[in-house]
Amino acid sequence: MKKTGEKAVILVVIATGISSVVTQLLIIREFLAQLQGNEFVIALILFSWLITGGIGTLLARLVARRLWRPTACRLGWLSFCLAFLPALQILVIRRLRDILFIHGSSIGFYPVLGYIFFTVAPYCLLVGFVLPYSLFLFRVEDPDYPGTRIYMTDNLGDVAGGALFSFILVYLFSPLQAVFLGNLPLVAASCFLFVSIRRMHPAAFIGAGLALVILLSGIYFEPATLVPREGELVHYKESRYGRISVHKDREQYTLFIDGTPVFSSQNLNMAEEAIHYPLSQVSDPENILLISAEGGMMTELQKYRPAGVDYVELDPEVSHVLFRFGLIKNIPGLNVINQDARAYLAGSDKIYDAIIVNLPEPETFQINRFFTGRFFELARTHLALHGVFGFSVQGFDNYLAEPQRRKISSLYNTVSDHFKHVLLLPGERIFFLCSDNPINIDIPACLEKKGIPTSYISGFFYGNLTHERIVGLNNMIDPSTPENIDEFPQLIRLMFLQWFAKFSTSPYGFIAGLTVLLIIYLVRIAREEFVLFSTGFMAMGSEILVIFAFQIFFGYIYFQIGLIVTVFLAGLLPGAWFGERMRGRGRLMLALTDGLLIILIALFMIAVKQYGDRLPVAVFLIFGFVVSLTCGCQFPVALRLRGGDNPAATRAFSADLIGAAFGTLITSVALIPCFGIIWTAAGLIGLKLTSIIVIATGYEKNK
Amino acid sequence: MRKINRRKFLYCSAAVLSSAMPFCSFWPFAGTDSEASGSVDIRGRIFKGGAPAKLWKWSHEGFFYTKLKDNKVVCGICPNRCILAPGDLSVCRSKVNIGGTLYSLTYGNPCSLHVDPIEKKPLFHFKPRTTAFSIATTGCNFRCLNCQNWEISQVKPHQVRHYELFPRDVVVKAQSAGAKSIAYTYSEPTTFFEYMIDIARIAREEGIYNLWISNGYINRKPLLELCKVLDAANVNLKSYSDAIYRKLNGGRLEPVLNTFKTLREQGVHFEMTNLVVPGYVDDPDMVKKMCGWILDNLGTDYPLHFLRFFPKYKLDRLAPTPVSTLTRFRKLAMQEGIRYVYVGNVPGHEGNNTYCHNCGKLLVERKGYLIPTYNLVGNKCKFCNSIIPGVWA
Repeated sequence: MKKTGEKAVILVVIATGISSVVTQLLIIREFLAQLQGNEFVIALILFSWLITGGIGTLLARLVARRLWRPTACRLGWLSFCLAFLPALQILVIRRLRDILFIHGSSIGFYPVLGYIFFTVAPYCLLVGFVLPYSLFLFRVEDPDYPGTRIYMTDNLGDVAGGALFSFILVYLFSPLQAVFLGNLPLVAASCFLFVSIRRMHPAAFIGAGLALVILLSGIYFEPATLVPREGELVHYKESRYGRISVHKDREQYTLFIDGTPVFSSQNLNMAEEAIHYPLSQVSDPENILLISAEGGMMTELQKYRPAGVDYVELDPEVSHVLFRFGLIKNIPGLNVINQDARAYLAGSDKIYDAIIVNLPEPETFQINRFFTGRFFELARTHLALHGVFGFSVQGFDNYLAEPQRRKISSLYNTVSDHFKHVLLLPGERIFFLCSDNPINIDIPACLEKKGIPTSYISGFFYGNLTHERIVGLNNMIDPSTPENIDEFPQLIRLMFLQWFAKFSTSPYGFIAGLTVLLIIYLVRIAREEFVLFSTGFMAMGSEILVIFAFQIFFGYIYFQIGLIVTVFLAGLLPGAWFGERMRGRGRLMLALTDGLLIILIALFMIAVKQYGDRLPVAVFLIFGFVVSLTCGCQFPVALRLRGGDNPAATRAFSADLIGAAFGTLITSVALIPCFGIIWTAAGLIGLKLTSIIVIATGYEKNK
Repeated sequence: MRKINRRKFLYCSAAVLSSAMPFCSFWPFAGTDSEASGSVDIRGRIFKGGAPAKLWKWSHEGFFYTKLKDNKVVCGICPNRCILAPGDLSVCRSKVNIGGTLYSLTYGNPCSLHVDPIEKKPLFHFKPRTTAFSIATTGCNFRCLNCQNWEISQVKPHQVRHYELFPRDVVVKAQSAGAKSIAYTYSEPTTFFEYMIDIARIAREEGIYNLWISNGYINRKPLLELCKVLDAANVNLKSYSDAIYRKLNGGRLEPVLNTFKTLREQGVHFEMTNLVVPGYVDDPDMVKKMCGWILDNLGTDYPLHFLRFFPKYKLDRLAPTPVSTLTRFRKLAMQEGIRYVYVGNVPGHEGNNTYCHNCGKLLVERKGYLIPTYNLVGNKCKFCNSIIPGVWA
C-alpha cells in the first residue's frame, strides 16, 4: 500500500473512533429520552452497543476471509455508510417509538432490550466490522502489520470523540447537528481514501454527497421529530444533563425532562403536599432550602413569608425554563443555586428551618445519593433544632405492594437513624416528615392554626389520609430491611424489582440466556483472550465504580465526570504503546499487569473506605488513567501471544469488547446494587486473580 | 458439503442465540401482557396452566359458568368468556378450572380494605356526606395502561397480602366502621363476583347499601343478578371508541354500553366517569358522540364525571389533562343536554359542585370531600322544588 493510502486508512480509523464515541453518547441520550432512564436501561444500552460491536468484529474475519476480500475502495464505502448511519439511527429510534409501542406509555424490560438491540445493531455491527477490516487491508500488503497499531489509532479517535462531545458538542448543538459534526471527519477521511486510490475518484463525490445529504437531511427533519402529539413544543434544549422540552397544551405548560412529564403548571395538589406537609410542623419557618422544585411551590411557600428561600437546581436550564414559563414564580428572598445539592450542602454552613427535597425516584446512582444515610446526616446538620426535613417517593392508592414496601422500609430505616421522629404520609406520593421534634399528624389543623389557606389539603386530607391509612402505612415498615447507604445503594436494587413488578416480568430469562452464552464463550476462548475479556470487564467495571464513588463524594459535576470518562479512554493509548514495546515479555507481562490492576483496585478500595470525601479529585483522575493505561498495555501483549494473525486480532478485539459489555452490565445492575462498592471492587479483584491463575497455569502459544 | 467443526458450531449457535434473544420481546406469547410490538389490542390472555397447584383455602365454586367437553369450562361472568382447560387461570387472574369445575380464588380473601368518603368513588348523587366501607380483592378483566390500582388489579391472588374475611365479617366490619354502604371497588369487583354478591345479599338484609365501582365489563345475566342487591354504581365509560378501549384498556366498548342500559332498565342509580386522557380521549367530537349516545339511551339525569388524567402506571409519558379541556367538555355535555356534569381531580373547580338543572342555583358545594353548602330538601331543590335525580336522604 502506498504511503498516502496508508495515511488515508489511518485517518479513516481515527475518524471512525470519533464517530463511534460521539454516536454512542448521542444514542445513550436518545434512548434515555425515549425510554425509562433507570440504571438498568443505561446498562442495557452500553451492553447492546458493545456486544453488537463484538459480533461485528467477529464477523469481519468470516466475511473478509472468504466473501469480501479487503480493498481500500470497500473500506471507503463502508466508512461512508458509517458516517450517515447515526443520523438515520436517531431518526429511526424517534420514529419507531410510537410505531412499535403505544404512544405515551413506558416500556418493560424485554421490549426495551429488543428495541435497543435492533436499533443499535446496524451501526454497531458496522463499526465493529470496520476496525479489523482496516487491519486486514494493511495486511494484504504487509502481513506483519501490527494489530496494536489499529487499536491505538482507534483509541486516539475515541479520546478525541469523547472530548469533542463532552466539552463542545453537548453545549452547543442539537443531536442531529452533533451527529453531522461528529461524522464530518469520517466523510472527509473516506473522501481522502478514495482520492488516494485515484485522483477524481467518482466514489469520493458520490459517497461524500450521499453521506452529506443524509446528514443534512437529519438536521432538516430534526425539528419535526420533536413535535409532540398533544399541544405544541414551546421550548426545546439539549442541556448537559438531558433533553429539556416544554409542551403547551391549551393554557397548561408541562416541562418534560428526557421525555417524562416532570412539572406541570396546574399540578396544585403536589405543590401543596410537598410544601405544607413539612412546613406545617415548623412554628415560623424563616430559612428554607428547596432541593429542586415543582410547579406552584413558590406560591405555596410565600404563604409563610419566609426571609429566605434557597432553591438548588442542578441543571441551570431547568430553573431557567421553570421561571420563563411561570411554572414557578420569583418570590422575595428567593436565591437560585445551580449546583449539585449535595455538593452545595457539603460546602455550606447555613442553617435552615426546613429542607424539602423534591427529586424524582432514586432509579439512578445520581439521584440515589439524595436518599442515603450520609445525605440524611448532611441534611440534619444543616437544620435548626426545631427544623424539619421532608422528602417523598412514589406512592400508592390503595395497596402497598411488596417491592414498594421494602423500598420505603429501607428509606425509613435509613432516615430514622438520623432523626428522632419520622412520619410517613400515604398518597400518590409517600411523604417522609423527619424532625427531632414530635410531628403532628393533623396537618389541616396545624395549617388552620397558622392561618395558611389551602385548596387541596383542606378539602381532601381527611378523606384521603384517614387515620387508619396513615397508621396502616407506618405499621407496615419492615425493620429488617437493610438501610440505603452510599456505598451500598439498596434502593437501586429495590427500584429494579419494582420496575419488573410493574411490567409483570422478570429478568431471569435474560440472565439465564446470557449466562449460557457467557459460559459457551468463556469455555471456547483462549487463555490470552480470557485475559482481554477480564481486562475489558475490569476497565468498564472500574470506570463505573470510579464515577459512582466520585458522585457520592463530590456530587454530579459535569465537567469533572467528563474528565474521568476522558482519562479512562486516554490511558489506553499510551498503555498500548507501552505494551507494544514490552510485548516480547509475554505471559510475565500479562501477569504483572494483572497484578498491578489488582493492587490498583485494592488501593482504591482502601482509599475510598479510609478517606472518602477527603480524597482529592486528582486521585480519581490518576486512578482512572493508570487503570486504563494498564488495561491498554495488555492488548498488544495478549495479541502477540495469540500470534497476531487476522483471526487472533479479531478475537482479541472482540474479547475486549465482550468483556467490556459484561463489565458494564454486571457492575452497574448486579454488583453495586446487590453487594455495594467494596464487594464490587473485591469482585473485580477476584476476576483478575482468576485471570492470573489462567495465565500461570497455561502455556504460551506460538512461541 | 463442507464440514463444520465443533468450535465453529458453538460460535454460530452463540451468535444466533444472542441475536435471537431480543426477538422474544416481539414474540406473541412473550411476557404476560403485550404493551409492545405496536399492538393496538392489549386485551389480556388466559394463563395456560397458571392455576395454583392447590386450591385456595376458601376457594368457592364460580357462578355463571358452563361445562364443556374435555373438562373445559367457560366463565360467563364477563364478556371475556374465558374458556379454561383444567389448570388454566382466567384473564382476570381470579378464576381457575380445577378438574372441570370453575373456582373463584379470591372468595373471602380481600387484599384492600378502607373507609372512604362516598364522594371519592365518585358518587355525588347518592347519600352525600356518608362513608363507604371499600373492599377489593386482586384481579381485573381489563389491562388499562393507566390503572391506579395496578398493584392489586394486575397480579395473581397469591402475590399479595390477604385478610381472611367472610361475607358476614365484611358486613360486621362495615357496621363497626359506621359506614352506610359497602363499595366493591379499587380493582375490578366483577372478577370477585361470587364474593361480592354474597356480601351484598347480607348487607342488604342489614340495611347497608351496596355500591359497585366498576369498568362495566360484565355479562347481562350476572349483572341482572347483581342489580337485585345493588343500590348504586359508578361505571367507567373510558372512551367512546372501541379502538381506544382495545388500545389503552384491553377491553371492548359495546358490552360497557350494554351495562349502562341494563342498570337503567333495572332502576339502579348510577353515575358515569370518563377519564380524559390527552391524545386519546380528549377529542370534542368523540365527547359529543358519547353525550349523544347517553341522551338517546339513558336520558338526561345520570351524572357524568369528566376526570383529569395524571401520568400513572404505564401511561406515564403524557402530560396531565389541561383544566380548560375538562371545563370545555363539561360545558359541551351540558349544552348537549346532560343535566349533571362534573369535573374531577381538580380541587376548587366549579364543576365539583351540583347546580339545579331547573333554576341553576347552587345545591351542593363541595370543597374536596367536605360539603359546606347543602341546599336540598329531601330530593328536591330548596329554591325551585325540582326533583334532583339521585338518592339523597
